[in-house]
Formats: sequence, C-alpha cells, structure tokens
Amino acid sequence: MNDDQLNNLFAAARKAQPDTKRTQFAFETRLLARLRAERDPGIAWWFWTRRLAPLFAAIVLGLGAWNFVALNEASTDWQSVIAGNHDDNETVALFDGQ
Amino acid sequence: MSAQTGELTDERLIQSTLTGDDEAFAALVVRYKRRILGIAARFTRSEAELDDLCQEIFIKVYRHLAKFRGEAPFEHWLSRIGIRACYDHLRKTRHDRNEMALDDVELACADDVSPKRAREVLDFALAKLSAEERLVITLLELEERTVEEIAELTGWSQSNVKIRAYRARRALRTILETHHER
Repeated sequence: MNDDQLNNLFAAARKAQPDTKRTQFAFETRLLARLRAERDPGIAWWFWTRRLAPLFAAIVLGLGAWNFVALNEASTDWQSVIAGNHDDNETVALFDGQ
Repeated sequence: MSAQTGELTDERLIQSTLTGDDEAFAALVVRYKRRILGIAARFTRSEAELDDLCQEIFIKVYRHLAKFRGEAPFEHWLSRIGIRACYDHLRKTRHDRNEMALDDVELACADDVSPKRAREVLDFALAKLSAEERLVITLLELEERTVEEIAELTGWSQSNVKIRAYRARRALRTILETHHER
C-alpha cells in the first residue's frame, strides 16, 4: 500500500463520524447519579446493599438448604451414633455420667 | 436543564459548580459531552465502553475543576483531560484489541471505498498499533488536528508527535499490506 492509498483511506474514514447519539442521551443524568453516589457514603452504602442483597439471600438460602439436607441424612439411632466413635467402656461410662 | 444555565459562560458555571451547584456542572457536561464523546468513540468498541470512558473523563474534570485557572479556554483544558484519559484507556485495553478480524482488505484499497468500510479497515489496523502511535495518527488524520495541537493535548514534544506519526503510518501500511497478501 502506498501513501496515496493510505491517504485515500483516511479521507474516506473521516466522513464516517462516530454516532454517539444513544450514549449522549441522559449522559449527564447518569454522570450526576454516579458523582452523588461517590460523594455521599450513605447513598453508596445503600446502593451496594440493595444490589448485593439478592446474592446474600441466595447464599443464606443455599446454606440453609444444605444444612437441612445434611441433618436429614444423619442417623436417628443415637446409640449407634454415639457408640460408633467410642469403644464399649467409654460408651458405658458416658451413659453412667462418668 | 434550565434555560438560564444554558446562557451562562463556562466561567460562571465553573464557579457555581465549585460552590456545590450540581446543575451548573450538568450544564457544562451538556455543553461539551458531544465533543468528548465524539473523540472518545474513536478509541472504544462499544457504547458501554464509551459511556464508561466518558464518565471517567468528566469525573476527572469535576475533581480537578478547582485547578482550572482560565488561562486557556475551558474546552482546551477539558480536551486535554479527555485525550489523556483516552490514551490511558488505550494502554489498558491494548491486549484486548489484537483479536479483531477483518476480511477483504483489498476492497478497502480501492479508490471508491465507502466511508463505513474505510473506517472498519482502519479500526482493524489501528488496533494493532501501540497506544502512542494510535493516538497520534487518530488525532492527526481522523480528527485533523495539527502537530502543535496534538503536542499541546498530549504533553509530548512536537518532534515526538512527528516521529510517532511517521512510525504509525509505516506500521499501518505494513499491517494492511500483510493482511492483503494472506
């Protein structure tokens, strides 16, 4: 490619100005909202709390569900649960309160 | 935006902004957003990216407004901040830009290439330049700024601007020739 061809390319591209109308729309409104949020820690705190609340709620529900499932799977035979990790002497001692 | 703020000078709006008048700053933004968006759009690939970059530019302007001394027009000061923010943006995002693809570069070398096509071809090639070369050649050839203006906007010396422009043109020719030969 020679210089003239490159110059022609630039000349043609200069006619294709970027279209920014959509970004211009309400740009100052978005900007001021961001500035106010940065200036006012209270607003920022509330803003982020609202945004992250669904995430935290999902985590809490997930942990609760996991806990519920884990408890249901645990054995209800308490004697075998207790005895499973102790030898007989220890088990007797445990029931005798020693 | 009130009709009153539209009639005020930049200096009055700046003074009002510094006393806490958000509406005055909004009026300044409305006055210059088209210009800043037009420049920044040459260095971004999506509306979201453009919106983010321009918000950062005006936030910098807001934070440093007290430093504006009025020795030059506000528009020059604003443009300088804008150009330097665009340069920082190019440096940060350069590694993302090398994956652009383009077919049929040959069509773009014809004399009757459409403006849209010419821009696509140049965007492809410009993405492969260094941030400095891309900034200089875009301001020189697409924004039609002079070397002196570019030096003033970027803070680089005029000889530096000329050298970068020369290297950018040479690199663009190589990129377009190489792609055409594939």
